[in-house]
Amino acid sequence: MPPRPRLRLSGVISGKFDFEARAAALFLLPVTVVLVAVAVFPIGYSFYISLFQLKLTRPHRVPFVWLDNYAKILTDELFWSSAWRTFSFTVMSVTAISILAVLIALLLNETFRGRRFLAIILVAPWAIPTVANGLMWKWIYDSSFGALNGALLQLGMIDKYVVWLGDPEKTLPLIANAFVWKEVPLASILILVTMKSIPADLYRAAKVDGANVLQRFIHITLPSLRPGFMLVFIYETMMAIRHFDLFFILTEGGPAQASHVASWHIYVETFRNLSFGTGNALAYVMAIVTFALAYFIIRTLGRRL
Amino acid sequence: MASIRIEGVTKRFGNVVAVDDLDLEIHDKEFLVLLGPSGCGKSTTLNIIAGLEDMNEGNIYFDDQIVNFLPPHRRDVAMVFQSYALYPHKSVYDNIAFGLRMRRFNRQEIDRLVKHAADRLEISHLLQRRPHELSGGQRQRVALGRAIVRQPAVFLMDEPLSNLDAALRVSMRAEIKRLHQTMQTTFVYVTHDQAEALTLADRIVVLKDGVAQQTGTPDDIYQRPCSMFVASFLGSPQMNFLRGSLKKEGDRVLFCRGGFSLDFPSAMARKLVGHAGQEVVLGIRPEDVDERTNSPTANCLHGRVNFTLSIGSDQYLSVQAEGVELFFRVGRDTRCADGDSVAIAVATDRLHVFDKETTQSLLW
Repeated sequence: MPPRPRLRLSGVISGKFDFEARAAALFLLPVTVVLVAVAVFPIGYSFYISLFQLKLTRPHRVPFVWLDNYAKILTDELFWSSAWRTFSFTVMSVTAISILAVLIALLLNETFRGRRFLAIILVAPWAIPTVANGLMWKWIYDSSFGALNGALLQLGMIDKYVVWLGDPEKTLPLIANAFVWKEVPLASILILVTMKSIPADLYRAAKVDGANVLQRFIHITLPSLRPGFMLVFIYETMMAIRHFDLFFILTEGGPAQASHVASWHIYVETFRNLSFGTGNALAYVMAIVTFALAYFIIRTLGRRL
Repeated sequence: MASIRIEGVTKRFGNVVAVDDLDLEIHDKEFLVLLGPSGCGKSTTLNIIAGLEDMNEGNIYFDDQIVNFLPPHRRDVAMVFQSYALYPHKSVYDNIAFGLRMRRFNRQEIDRLVKHAADRLEISHLLQRRPHELSGGQRQRVALGRAIVRQPAVFLMDEPLSNLDAALRVSMRAEIKRLHQTMQTTFVYVTHDQAEALTLADRIVVLKDGVAQQTGTPDDIYQRPCSMFVASFLGSPQMNFLRGSLKKEGDRVLFCRGGFSLDFPSAMARKLVGHAGQEVVLGIRPEDVDERTNSPTANCLHGRVNFTLSIGSDQYLSVQAEGVELFFRVGRDTRCADGDSVAIAVATDRLHVFDKETTQSLLW
């Protein structure tokens, strides 16, 4: 077989390649144009904007400021505090998601009556749109007629209704809870699939070797779940870092900036303060951090797969 | 060291009976092979002995002590699996040491035992590797190492050689035999490979549909199969079967099929005389013949050679005789071409006769 010619735009245009290669390039062209228009161009253009002091309130004065926007962000105290909140929200959520997903996967991995039914119910939160999920939790947490207040009062765990989302200490964990509720199903499925691929003989060998249930879990199940964990870590970390909807619906960053996370910070800067320059710079910083984190997770967890 | 007694063990999976009222006595230090086609219940039996599977009925005794409800690790058994079942994320050393760690051996003792076992199986240089870095044969050795390191009372092996290539299988077979000699321990070995069973076993149990068909030494089972199933399961190529009937002529008993007849030696005739007139199946092992061309005598099968297959030391003849295709094993010096007529003299003292209805042997 002759070596396949490498497709180069110049070659296609100048007619240097044979018909087959040109036909291939032609077929790829429409989707390439679409991708450039909706992905490549905006990415480049937003970086371009991030180099200007672009405020929509002053649309006629847009000075080029080099990396000043970035310098401004990195010296802004609110940026660092919002980054810290995003970090704690992510750690809380991903930890809870991982633990719950393993527990649910362990349950669904057993055979018992009604397993299929339970599996369907447990997956339901995944099927609910994020905004609907946010509104639902807003009702649950509501201070005057929320289900959480009702349930806790009837159980005798609180004396009177509590303004849950008004307490800066509780806001972030409560939003994380709503986030976890929605994300656990997918994570459970990923973990369950990995769990199902563990050969039964390993457990039998360990039983003969004298390992009890807990030891079998520690020595066989957990290490074998590494690939599933990696997927869950990467995916859920990204989701948590970038998460915006619940903050928008439940608290709008409040109370007293208690839920003012990085994604909310970007939104406020861009669409409330209308500073597109700094907003875009913020988005770029966040993208780079997310990318670096994913790379780090893949390198550490993925190496010994 | 332990003897094992299995009494009336039955195991059902839903409506399927995997093991059906099995009685079996495994002697101390014996090498017992459970042999049978897939789905015959041999692995289930092994799992029941190991304690990995509960049974529905029956009792299991280790040295006269009932162990029905003892978990695997309290039965002092070690098991080798077809898939090796090595812990993939542990090093070879940790794989072998795992059972000892679970039994809370101290560190020096573990180190000594692991190294000793590794020496014995010549895998000392692999101790720091992980299972995925090993070849099939090396993995098999590690699996054996994990089993022998604890010096268990009973060794259970579930088709341990099935995943190896042919040459390695033969050499590991010898290794397992040697292991049995030096360890002086009871071995229970499951296989569907009759050659493995015949070479390794002190005794073989042939299983079919969860029922023990025959138990005996390899010679017993090979030379005196109790049924057509056992006869056809052991030996390669398979035993030839010819339908016909028994006739009594004076003192003699004859096997007749069309114009062909065979005269049984007197010892056999005495056992068969009661079945005269009955429809039977005659069994002839491929090697129980004396092939001669152009010297027709009594007790000869006449036929035409379909083709010959040389296997180096011997050759197989496919012969069309009495309307069926029969296989015979003859010396490599025998010269015959495809289409030749041959007369095959049958070694009548090694014939097998089975009841056509029950398929049971009429001789043993």
